[in-house]
Amino acid sequence: MFSRILIANRGEIALRIVRACRRMGITSVVAYSEADRDSRAVQLADEAICVGPAESRRSYLSAPAILSAAIVAGCDAIHPGYGFLSEDDTFAEMTRAHGLTFIGPSPEVLERFASKAGTRTLLAKHGLPTIPGSGMLRDDAHAMAEADKIGYPALIKPSAGGGGKGMRMVRSARELQQAMTICRSEALAAFGDDSLYLEKWLEDNRHVEVQVMVDKFGNGVHVGERDCSVQRRHQKIIEEGPSPALSPGQRASLLDSAVAAVVAAGYENVGTLEFLLDKEGNYFFIEINCRIQVEHPVTEMISGLDIVTEQIRIAAGEPLSVKQSDIEIRGHAIEFRINAEDAENDFQPGAGRIETYLAPGGPGVRVDSHMYSGYEVPPYYDSLLGKLIVWGPDRETAIARSRAALEELVVDGVVTNIALHRALLGNDVFLSGEFTTNLLDRVGSAAFMATPKAAA
Amino acid sequence: MAGNTDERATIAHLADEVVPALIERLSNSELGELEVRQDGWRVRLRRGTDGAIPTVQPAQTTMPHKPAAVAHTADHAPRRDQPKGRVKSPAVGFFTLRDGVTVGSKVRSGDILGIVDVLGVRQEVVSPVDGVLKALEVESGQAVEFGQAIGRVEASV
Repeated sequence: MFSRILIANRGEIALRIVRACRRMGITSVVAYSEADRDSRAVQLADEAICVGPAESRRSYLSAPAILSAAIVAGCDAIHPGYGFLSEDDTFAEMTRAHGLTFIGPSPEVLERFASKAGTRTLLAKHGLPTIPGSGMLRDDAHAMAEADKIGYPALIKPSAGGGGKGMRMVRSARELQQAMTICRSEALAAFGDDSLYLEKWLEDNRHVEVQVMVDKFGNGVHVGERDCSVQRRHQKIIEEGPSPALSPGQRASLLDSAVAAVVAAGYENVGTLEFLLDKEGNYFFIEINCRIQVEHPVTEMISGLDIVTEQIRIAAGEPLSVKQSDIEIRGHAIEFRINAEDAENDFQPGAGRIETYLAPGGPGVRVDSHMYSGYEVPPYYDSLLGKLIVWGPDRETAIARSRAALEELVVDGVVTNIALHRALLGNDVFLSGEFTTNLLDRVGSAAFMATPKAAA
Repeated sequence: MAGNTDERATIAHLADEVVPALIERLSNSELGELEVRQDGWRVRLRRGTDGAIPTVQPAQTTMPHKPAAVAHTADHAPRRDQPKGRVKSPAVGFFTLRDGVTVGSKVRSGDILGIVDVLGVRQEVVSPVDGVLKALEVESGQAVEFGQAIGRVEASV
């Protein structure tokens, strides 16, 4: 097992990894930018090391700075968290070349799954139904030709990254042409890579994903699924598990085929396979995330497993601590992403000083957040302030507890989306478990928040 | 020396921010003299035959100094000592002091005082001002983080 882990990330996930290290008796060293000097992770870590200025490109995204920090701090492994360098095969290769362990898939595995189009083909070969899509788009003419083949509506997606940046749904060739330029520049700004591809867009689809864990000995398990259909502009805001949209038969088929396919394709470490689910319950594989995900606590709450700890164990070459037959999904969990953004004004991100922060409590309530009263939210990074995760023995109880927890949660000083979450918990479509990925954008968050129920 | 540090910070503030702003005001005006008092300090600029003459001194005494210089009457601490004289690490890595550089070395702004090795790539540690290297806080071979204070250059008057 490792003795010192460099945590190459910030915010709530850096804190989550510090906690895993503490629980495992591993020394945590947080690599931070100048803008995060006063962050909770820096305060709580055993050690902290400043790697660069606020600008991510020169700190959290700088492979030389992160590696150099790991070396001077005497670490034997690097945990990249999510985003930043977490799925960068070159960085994973550099880490290994310097004699350190990258806590994630090996560079070879990352490379094999780096191309989204390539991964679809690979996993289709291993039995997963996939969504019709294109390869990398060379230019607008190529995009038009591919879109004609796939059929409209289609979704433009960036090859790199996630989080809804560089993504647009288009219904015609004209819309496609207009959106390509925007998506290219968004993808370039967000991921330093403007390659795009197309995917068939399913009307009224749901987003369901499967959590898998595969050790270096080829033992693989799934830890149930999560439903992330409550999105705004392809960005998840509420995730829950199990999915209310799957019958037991559909669920078993999805989970078993997902884990069988990734093990056969040679995947390793923790990962998430994302699927679209149509109205009839047919599922289509869209992409794999080779990292720990923001919404992993949903799975932790319903399985009782510590996924970050398992991830560190796998990277250290240990076998999985559980077999499939040991894993039992109990009850229902819902995660609310608490973002510093104005849901009533086009989700404009906010920054500033958190004057008051009071976390909720009670049975089944977990908060993963780096916030504290007096914390200055820097304007340079994403708007995630934390996650409220609520468990109940069934969905109704989880929702009732969520309502109470969201009423109790106080975040003053910066604009947040807490009111939107409260409104969503009063929404009939959400309550019936029939939310689809485009519903929030179609109806508009302002309309959700204006409902009398939400105001009550 | 705590009071001294405060005084130095005040001098730096006056030298780097207040005086240049006042010079600009004076230059753009028809005034012959301009004076500002704040927190026990007084800055007076007087238009001479060859331009503005800024002086800074404790309010209770008045001692003229040579043109364009800002000085403290008590210990003649030169301007821009703090924080501009701080030598900072440009990166995270291992520090190596340049041969021949020691405390007491006379340096010029931009002179390389050492390097930080970042995975074999040498990042230069440079002097921020002309002056004398007064302190070194890091030894060769020591690990440094981004922005860490490596030393201090006392600017020449």
